[in-house]
Amino acid sequence: MPFTDKPQVFSASINALSFGPAGKEVTLGGSNVYPLYSFDAPLANPVRVGIQVSDKGFDATVPGLAAFYEGCSTVAEMAARAAAAPGVDFVALSLNSADPNEDNASVDDCAATALAVAQAIDKPLAIMGCKNVEKDSELFVKIADVLRGQNALFLSCREEDYKTIGASVVLAGGSSLGGESAVDINLAKQLNVLLSQLGVPTGKIVMNLGTAAAGYGFEYLASTIDRVKDAALKQNDGMLQMPVVTPCGDDAWGVKEAILEEADMPEWGSREERGIQMEIITAAACIASGSDAVILRHPESVKTISEYVSALM
Amino acid sequence: MGKFVVIGERIHCISPAIREAMNTMNPEPILKRAKEQLEAGATYLDVNIGPAESNGVELMTWAVQTIQGAFDNVPLALDTANMAAIEAGIGVYNRSKGKPIVNSADAGDRIGYLDLAANNDAICIALCSKAGVPADNDERMTYLQELLERGLELGMDPEDIWFDPLFLVIKGMQDKQMDVLNFIRDISEQGLNSTGGLSNNSNGMPKHIRPIMDSAMVAMAMMAGLTSAIVNPCDLRLMETVKSCDIIKNNFLYADSYLEV
Repeated sequence: MPFTDKPQVFSASINALSFGPAGKEVTLGGSNVYPLYSFDAPLANPVRVGIQVSDKGFDATVPGLAAFYEGCSTVAEMAARAAAAPGVDFVALSLNSADPNEDNASVDDCAATALAVAQAIDKPLAIMGCKNVEKDSELFVKIADVLRGQNALFLSCREEDYKTIGASVVLAGGSSLGGESAVDINLAKQLNVLLSQLGVPTGKIVMNLGTAAAGYGFEYLASTIDRVKDAALKQNDGMLQMPVVTPCGDDAWGVKEAILEEADMPEWGSREERGIQMEIITAAACIASGSDAVILRHPESVKTISEYVSALM
Repeated sequence: MGKFVVIGERIHCISPAIREAMNTMNPEPILKRAKEQLEAGATYLDVNIGPAESNGVELMTWAVQTIQGAFDNVPLALDTANMAAIEAGIGVYNRSKGKPIVNSADAGDRIGYLDLAANNDAICIALCSKAGVPADNDERMTYLQELLERGLELGMDPEDIWFDPLFLVIKGMQDKQMDVLNFIRDISEQGLNSTGGLSNNSNGMPKHIRPIMDSAMVAMAMMAGLTSAIVNPCDLRLMETVKSCDIIKNNFLYADSYLEV
C-alpha cells in the first residue's frame, strides 16, 4: 500500500495575541499544529524572545553583562540597549526593587521607571512584578494606567489577585495579561476561566505556566506544557488555547551551575559561560515543549535562541 | 479521547412551535431554541424538518443558512427522510466548526444515506437495525458490520460513521437495557464512535424522573464507551453528568469551574 501522508493539522488553534504599541506589535501563538511541527502545517508565528531588564540593574559580577551595559546610567538606557541587541523581540522589565522585603520602592517610582522604559525602546514591553502578590497588584494597577495605549503585557496575575489586575490591566488599561500558575495545570485552566468570567477577552490572556531550570524539576513543567497544548489542540479546550510565555532567566541563573564562581569550582570553567548554557538549555527545552515566548537575561542567550528559532521555522 | 459530543435535539418539527416556524419560515423560534441549546453546552444541533416531501430542499437550505449564520457556523446534524434536502443542506453548509452529520442510515431501506454521507464528506449516524428493533446483540453486530463494510468501500473514514445501538424504552423493555450498554462496549472496543437517542430510555416516565434516569443512563453508557448522544442539552442534571463523566474519563481537563465552561 502506498504511504499516505496525513498531516496532523487541528481544527483548533492557539490564540494569536499581539502586544506592543501600534506599528511595533509582536504576535505570539496562532498555530494549529503541535509546537514546532512545521512539517504538518506552516507555523503562524515564530517563538518570540524577550530580554529581561531589572530595575535593580544588571549582575555586575558577570563580565559580559557589565561590558554589554557599559555606560548605561538609568534603567531606561539599559532597556534601550537591550532592545537593540540581536534577536530581541520584546523587552521584559522586572520591577524587583518594589519587593517589600527588600528595597520596597514606591509604586510611583516604579511607574515612572516603566514609563521611561516604554518611551526609550522601540520594541513591545512586558512588565514583570516583584513576585509579591499584594505589591504586584498595586504596581500593575498604577502602571497599567501610566502605560495606557502602549498595549503592554503584564506578567502575571495569580488566583489571589486576578480580579484587581484583570480589571485594571485589561478592562481599564487595554493591555494584555498573563495568568500565573506554579506548574498546576488545573489552576492554569481555572485562572483562564475566572479571567473570562470577569470579562477579560481570551485573546488578551497568555499563560505563565511556571518555570524551572533544566535539571531542576523541569520535567514537571515540560509535561504541564505538553498537556496544555494537547488539550488546547486535540480537545479544542478554549480555556487552554492562550499562548504560553515562560520567563527562563531567573531560574536558569539561580542554580548552582550559574552561581558558583570559577574560583570555587575551577574544573567547571567560566561561570558566565555556564550561566548562558543553563539559560539556553532551559529555553530550548521550553520551546520544544511548547512555549510561545521565552524571556532571557543574557544577550548572548537571546541571540543563540533567536537563531535556533529561525532555524526551526 | 475527545469530549463527549452532545447533539441538541430540540429543533424538531414534532414541536408545534418549531413546526409552525418551519411552515412559515420564521427564524425566531428556531434561533431561540438554537441559542438555548448552545448556551446549555450542545456541540452539534440536530435539525429535524420531518419528511418535508414537497419543500425539503428549500427548507433545509434555509434552516442551515439561518442557524449557521446566526451562531458562528455551529455544526449541524441534518435530519429528514428527504435525501435531496440533506444534500441541499450540505451544499450550503459551512464546515469550519465541524463536518455535517447525516441523520441517519440503517442497514435496511435507509442504507443509501451512507452513500449520501460518503459522497459529501459528511459524518453519518448508522442505526444498527434493519426493520424494527434488533432481537439481540448478534443481530446488532451483523448490521454494524454491513454498515461498516459499506462505508469503508465508499472510502469513508471509520471514525465518520457513528453507530447507534438503539436505546430502548425501560417501561416495556427493561430486560434489554444491559444489552444496549454491552453493545456500546462492543462498538467502543472496535475503536468506533457511537451516538443515539439516549432519552428514549425514559420515555413515558413522569417528567421529574426523566432527568434522573437519563443521567444514570448517560453515565453508564459513557463508561461503556459511548462517544455522543442526541439529547436535550437544556436538561441541567444530564449536562452536569456528561461534564463530570468527561472529567473522570480524562476527556477534558479539570478546573474548579468545569461545570461553567
